[in-house]
Amino acid sequence: MSIRALWVVSHEKGESVKVRFSRRFPTVEFRAKSLAGVQYVSVPEDRVIPQLLLTELGLVDADKPYVDARDDCARQHRSPAVELRVDGSGGRTLWPVLIVTQGALILACLPLVEAPPEPRPPLPSLASVSQGLALLSGLQDFLCGPGGKPEPDVLASRLAALPSLLLQVCPLGRPLDTPPPAGSVPVAVSPSPGGAQKQPAWKAGVHRGRAVVSVALSEKVRSMQYGKSSRQDLWDVYGMVMCKCEVEGVLPNVTVTLTLPPNGSPLLDILVHPCVTSLDASILTACSVDENDGSAFSGPYKFPFSPPLELFRLCSYTSQVPVPPILGSYQLKAEENHLKINVVLKLHESVKNSFEYCEAHLPFFNKNLMGSVEVKVSSGQLEVSKEKNLLVWVLGQKFPKAREATLEGTIHFSGTVAGPTDPLCTGLSAYIKLYFRVPDLTLSGCCVDQHSVQVYSSAKPRIVTTRELVSSEYYIWNSTGDAPVSSGLTAL
Amino acid sequence: MTIADLWDQRIPAFLLSPSQFLATTTSESFLAELLHELRNDKANDQVKILLVSVLLEHPTILCPCTSVGEETALELLSVFSHMPQKSISLKCNVMLAITNVIICTSCLATHTKMAEDWLDLLFQTIQDTNDYRCGLSQQPLRATACDCLREMETCSPGLLSQKLEALYLLKQQETTVLHQSYCMLYTLGLKNAIRILTNQKDVTDLEFKSILGGNEGFAWKSNQLGLTFLPINMMVQVPRLPPGLDCKELKSVMSSLLEESYLLTPTSQSALLRELVEVVAMVPGLSPTLFKSQLLRLFGTAEVELMHATLFMKETFTDSLFTAEDENFLLKRLVSTAQHPLLRIPEKLFYMDCILHFPENRPISSSGEESLPVLVTPRLAASLLPTVFNDSATMLCRLNLLCLVYLEADEGGEDKGIDYLFNHIMALLKIVDSDGSREVVVTSFRAVYIFLMHFSGMEELSEKLIDRLCDMYSRQCRLAPNLIGLVDRIQECLDDYVWSVKLLRGLQKCIMEMPPLQLTIHNLSWHLKVLKRVAKEGQITQRNTIYLLLNVLINSNLCERGKWQVGNAVLAVCRNLLEHPSIDQVFIELADLLQYISVHYDDTDIKDHARFYYSLLTNLSWEKLTGVLAKGPDVGRAKERSHSATMAESEGIASNLTLRKTERHVLRLVKVQEKSLQSSSESSESLEATEETKKWLEVYQEQFQVPGFGSEVTLRYNLTHANEADTLFNRVFTICLHFELKDLNYAKVSDIHVPCVFRDRKPPEVNVKLRPFQPYPTTLCVSAIFTTQDGRSWHSRLPDVSVSFPEIFLPLPLPLNTSRACKEEVFDRIWEAAASGSPDKSAISLFCFETGDESLADLIKTHFQGYLITDEESKRSWKVLFFLPPMCHVLLMITQAEDAVQVSIATDNWELLPFVNSYLQNITDHSSTTGRDG
Repeated sequence: MSIRALWVVSHEKGESVKVRFSRRFPTVEFRAKSLAGVQYVSVPEDRVIPQLLLTELGLVDADKPYVDARDDCARQHRSPAVELRVDGSGGRTLWPVLIVTQGALILACLPLVEAPPEPRPPLPSLASVSQGLALLSGLQDFLCGPGGKPEPDVLASRLAALPSLLLQVCPLGRPLDTPPPAGSVPVAVSPSPGGAQKQPAWKAGVHRGRAVVSVALSEKVRSMQYGKSSRQDLWDVYGMVMCKCEVEGVLPNVTVTLTLPPNGSPLLDILVHPCVTSLDASILTACSVDENDGSAFSGPYKFPFSPPLELFRLCSYTSQVPVPPILGSYQLKAEENHLKINVVLKLHESVKNSFEYCEAHLPFFNKNLMGSVEVKVSSGQLEVSKEKNLLVWVLGQKFPKAREATLEGTIHFSGTVAGPTDPLCTGLSAYIKLYFRVPDLTLSGCCVDQHSVQVYSSAKPRIVTTRELVSSEYYIWNSTGDAPVSSGLTAL
Repeated sequence: MTIADLWDQRIPAFLLSPSQFLATTTSESFLAELLHELRNDKANDQVKILLVSVLLEHPTILCPCTSVGEETALELLSVFSHMPQKSISLKCNVMLAITNVIICTSCLATHTKMAEDWLDLLFQTIQDTNDYRCGLSQQPLRATACDCLREMETCSPGLLSQKLEALYLLKQQETTVLHQSYCMLYTLGLKNAIRILTNQKDVTDLEFKSILGGNEGFAWKSNQLGLTFLPINMMVQVPRLPPGLDCKELKSVMSSLLEESYLLTPTSQSALLRELVEVVAMVPGLSPTLFKSQLLRLFGTAEVELMHATLFMKETFTDSLFTAEDENFLLKRLVSTAQHPLLRIPEKLFYMDCILHFPENRPISSSGEESLPVLVTPRLAASLLPTVFNDSATMLCRLNLLCLVYLEADEGGEDKGIDYLFNHIMALLKIVDSDGSREVVVTSFRAVYIFLMHFSGMEELSEKLIDRLCDMYSRQCRLAPNLIGLVDRIQECLDDYVWSVKLLRGLQKCIMEMPPLQLTIHNLSWHLKVLKRVAKEGQITQRNTIYLLLNVLINSNLCERGKWQVGNAVLAVCRNLLEHPSIDQVFIELADLLQYISVHYDDTDIKDHARFYYSLLTNLSWEKLTGVLAKGPDVGRAKERSHSATMAESEGIASNLTLRKTERHVLRLVKVQEKSLQSSSESSESLEATEETKKWLEVYQEQFQVPGFGSEVTLRYNLTHANEADTLFNRVFTICLHFELKDLNYAKVSDIHVPCVFRDRKPPEVNVKLRPFQPYPTTLCVSAIFTTQDGRSWHSRLPDVSVSFPEIFLPLPLPLNTSRACKEEVFDRIWEAAASGSPDKSAISLFCFETGDESLADLIKTHFQGYLITDEESKRSWKVLFFLPPMCHVLLMITQAEDAVQVSIATDNWELLPFVNSYLQNITDHSSTTGRDG
C-alpha cells in the first residue's frame, strides 16, 4: 500500500510543459525492484516525465491530425490508470500510472504493484491503487481549492507547501491521510485534554468556545428536456449535507436527522462520511439502480456521528422526483436567414416562486453573428450578446402569477463573421440552459429540522440549518431539431 | 548570489535530471558538499531541508554501495544529534533520509552496525512518550519515527516480531493523535509475526502465544521471507497456521483494534482492515464474522479506499462473511457509486473496473480477465449507459461494460439494449461528421472499435456501420488514417476479415463515386492512402482503382505540376497493386497507367520508378514479381531488394533504405592502451630557441591566438566486434559512427566513417576528436549505421564510451624541441599567477598520501611520465603539468616529506578540483591518504 512516485505537471497554453513538483520514494522503489525482479521498470528522470504523460493524455503534437502513438483506436483510455511507454513504442512500460487532471494541472502517481507483474494483474487487486486515487483527490483539492482554478501565485504557494504536507500525510510513500482541502482555515483548537479518551487521528485538537452546529442541505437538479413524444424527458436530483460542528469534547456525539414529507420519494444511493458512527441498514438499501416500488424506507434518516473540526460532507444522496421544477418548451423555425423562436417556461406548482436568480441562456452555434434581434419576453429582461451569439433571458426573482413566462420573436443572422461553433449543435439542434437557485427549498422535500439536531454536550449549542435548490446541467432542447442521443436513463 | 540561492538552483537541477547534473561533477563530491553544508551552522533550516531532499529521493545515486551508505548515514546521524531541538521539521526530514539511506543501500538487509544503532534510536524515540518535558512540539518526531520503523519492518519483515508486547503497551498508552501511528506499527508487526510463524511446521500453543508477549530485541534472524512477499490475495494458497490453537488473546486484540479503527483516518483505516483481513485468513481459529460489525459502515462509505478494502474482504472471505443478500447489495452499491454525480471521474472509472473484477461468492471463472458478474443484469446496468455528454474515458468505460452486459443478456430485451448502444455510436459519428475536434474523432473510433469487438457478428448493425463510415468519409476524408487504423486493428484482433474487407470495399466505391470537383490535391492524398490500403486486400477487385488513377492523371494537371509526393503516393498504390493476386485481370490497365506516368509525369524520379514497375510488370511472372517485391529478412538476395527499394514503398522509405534496428551491440570501441601524448594542434610551429627565457610565457600564450590551438583531445580506439556471435555481422561495411554527448560540456563530435570491419581481421583504428568547453569527464553514446554483406542496412547502438578525467590530459602544448628550462619557466609563471589568484577562478590545494620510495617513483612513471616538467629524483621533488583544453591547467608540485607525499595543486579553474582530487585518490588508492586543504 505505497506509491513509488508522485508528480504535479502543468501545461499552460503557450508555455512549455513543466514539472511543478515531484517526489520519489526510494524505499518503495527498493521494494518494487525486488517484487518485479527482471520485469522491473525503473522510474525515468523527471526531465522526461511530462512528455510521457502528455502522450498518454493525447496532448502532444496538437498540430498533427493523426499520430499512431496517440490516436490508435485499440489503445483504450477507459481506466484511471495508464501506462507510460518509457522506451518508446513497443518498449517497456511503467504501469499503473494514475492520473487526475484539472485545468492545466496534471497530477500523477505510480502505485506499487504488490503482485507478480506478469500477466498484468487487474487494477482492483492492487491495494495501492485506491490509496493512490484518494491521495490524488486530496492533492487536487489542496492545490485547486473549491474554485478549481487558483491564481498562479496562490498555486505556487500551495505547491511550495507540498513538501511539508507530504511529511505528514505520506512521508515514506505510504499514505497515512489525505491532504486537507485548500482554504480550510486551520481551526483554533486546544490540544487534547489527555485522559483515557483517545484522540482521533482526524482531529487535531478540541474546540473551545461557543458551541455552534451548522447543517446546510444543498440539492442540485439536472434535466434534459426534449419536448418530443418519441424521447423521454429526464431529470434527477442529488443532494448533500454539509456540516460544521463547533462542539466541545474529544468525541462529542451529534445526531442529524433528515426527514421527508409524507409520500416523498425515498433518498437513494446514500453515501456517508467516515465519522458516522452507526448506520441503520434500511438507510442504505434504497438504490437508484433498483426498481423502486414505493415500499422503500422513506425516513427519518438518522446520522449519529462524532464530527471533525472542519467543514465536512456528512452524507450525499440522489432522488427521483416525479416532476422537474421548470418545464420548458423550445421551438425554432428556420426561415431564410433568420430564426423564428418560441420559448415557454412553466414553473411547477409545488416549487416556491422565489428565486435568488433565474436565467435562461440561449446560445446559437455554427451560424454567422447575429444582426437584428426582435424578441419579446412576457416577464423579466432580455440581454443580447451579439458577439457571442447568445441571448440571456433574466427572469429575476419571480415567475409571473400564472407561473409561466414566454419568449417570442425572430433573430437575423446577417453578420458576415462566423460565430462560435459546436459540433453538437448543428442545424436546428439547439438548447436552452437554465441557471437558477431557490433558497430554502429542496425538490425531494428533504429537510433538516433544527430541533432534530441533537448534540450531547454540556453547553447547549446554537443550531443553524439551511437548504437550497440549485440547477446543474439543466437543458431544454429545441423540439423541432435533433437533440443528440440522450443520457442513459431512458426506459428500456 | 548567496549560498542559499545557489542551492535553490542546484538542487532542483539535480532532481530534474540526476544524470545531467552529475555530468559536471561527481556524486562523491556532490555528496561531500551536501554533508558539508548540512553541518554549516549558518545555513537556515529551509536550505537544509532542501539539501536533505536529495538524499530523501535519490539515496542510491549518491550512495552507490553499502559502505558509502553506512558512512553517509553516520554523517547524517551526527548532524541529527547536533541539531537544535526546535528544528522539528528538519529533524524529521533527516530521520527519513537516514532511513532511506539505510534501507536502500542494503545496510538494513546486511545487518550493519549502523542499521542496528539506528533501529535502537528509533525505538527509543517512540518509547519516549513524555511530551510534556519538551512540549507537544516534539510529537512529529515520534510520528516520523513510527513511520520509519514501519517502513523498516516492511522491508525486513519480522524485525519487530519479538517486540510486540512493548508495542502493544505503547499503543494502549497513547491517547494523542499519534495513536494511529502506534496502532499501524503494531498491526504490521503482528501480521508479519504470524506470517513468519505459518512457515514453521508445527506450531505449539506456547509459540503462538509468545508472539503477543514478545519483549526482546530486534529479530534480525527471522528475515527468511525476504521483502518480496506478496499480500495473501496474490497467493495461490493462503499460508495458514494449524487449527486448534488457542486464539482467545489474539481475538481480543483484534476486536480492540477493530473497535478503535474508527479513530484512524480513512486511508489508515483501509490499511488496517487489510492487515487484519490477512491475519484472520492465516489463523483458522479466528472467524471472519469478527468484521461483521463493521460491514454496514463500510457499505455506506463515500471513501474509495474503504470501499476497496471491503471488496478485498469480500474476495478473501466470500460467503463465510458475505451472504448472497450482502453480495447482491454490495454489487448494487458499486453500480450506483460508479455513476454517482458527486464522485470524481477516476474513482468512478475505478468502480467500473471493480464491477468487472467483482469477487463473486460463486465465480464461474477466475481467470483474472474482465468478466461480468452474473448479478449484473441489463436493468441494473441501465444507469451506466454511455451518453455523448460523458467525458471520453467514462464513455468508453461504460460502453465496454454495457457491451458485455448485452452480450451476456438473455434473449428478449437484449436487442433493444444493443440498439441503444448502436444509436449511441451513430450519435458520436454524427458529431464527428459535423467537424468534431480531434479528441472527439479519436474517442469515437475507439468506441466503434469496442462495439465491433463485441458485436461484429451482428450483420445488420455492422453493415449499417459500414454505410455510415463510408458516408462520413465522403465528406470528411481527413478521417482516412483513423479508418485505416480501425481496419488494421480489427483484422489484428478479430480473425474475421469480412467486416474490414467490406468497409474497404465501401471506401473504394465511395472514392470512385466522388464528383471530380472533390478530388482536390489535398483530398487526393487521403484517398490515395485509402486506395493503397484497399490494394492490399486480395478479395477486392482493383479495376476501378486503376481507372480512377488513370482518369485523374489524364484529366487533371497533376502530371504537369509534377509534385513528387503525389506521384509517390500514386506509385505506392501501384506497388500494392503489383502484388495483388488478381493482377491478371487488370494487367493491361495497370500497364497503361504505369506507362502513362512514365511518359507524362513531370518528375524524373517518379518517371523512372513508373518505368521500372512497368518493366517488372511486363517481364516477370506474378510469383516472381511478388518475390521481388516481398519485404522481410527471408529474401536473402541483396540485388533484388535494392531494386524493390528504388521502387519506393511510401514517402521514399523503401525496404533497403529501411534501416533495420538491432537491439544488440554489434560493434564496440576499445580504447587503444598507449595514450596519444600529442596535442592535435597543427599550428605548433617550431619556436625560436634563441628567444629570451622570460618571454616564454607570452610566447606560450600567444599560441592560443591561433584559432583552434590546443583545443582538441584525440582519443584512439579500435573498432571491433562486440561479443555478439551472429554470423550475419561477421563482415560489415561502410560504417558510419555517430556520437551523441550526454552533456553540454563538449562540442558536437563529427561522424566517423570506416570502410569495413571483419571479424577475422585486425580491427581498424578510429580517432575520436573531442573539443571540450569544460574539461569534465563525460560519456559518449555511440551508434553505428552499417551495411551487411546481403545489402541490408542496420542501425545499432554501441556500448557507451566513457571518457575519464585523465584521458583529457594533454602535455604542455609547446613545440617538441622546447627545452626543459623553458617549460619550467612557463610552469613557474603559471603557478605564480594561480597562487596570486589570477585568473579569478584560480585555486591552490593540497593533497597528501603515504607511500614508499619505490612505489612513488613507480607511480610517477606510470601516471605522470608524459607530463613531467622537472624530474628531480634526487631531491624527491617533481613538477607535473596537465593541460586541459580549451585552456585549463592543472599543476602539481610533488614533494616527498618525511612521512607522506605532498602534492601541491594549482589550477586556473577551481571547478576542476573535485576531479583532480578523485583522480589523485584513485591512483594513490593503495596508499592511505589524508585529506586535502583548500
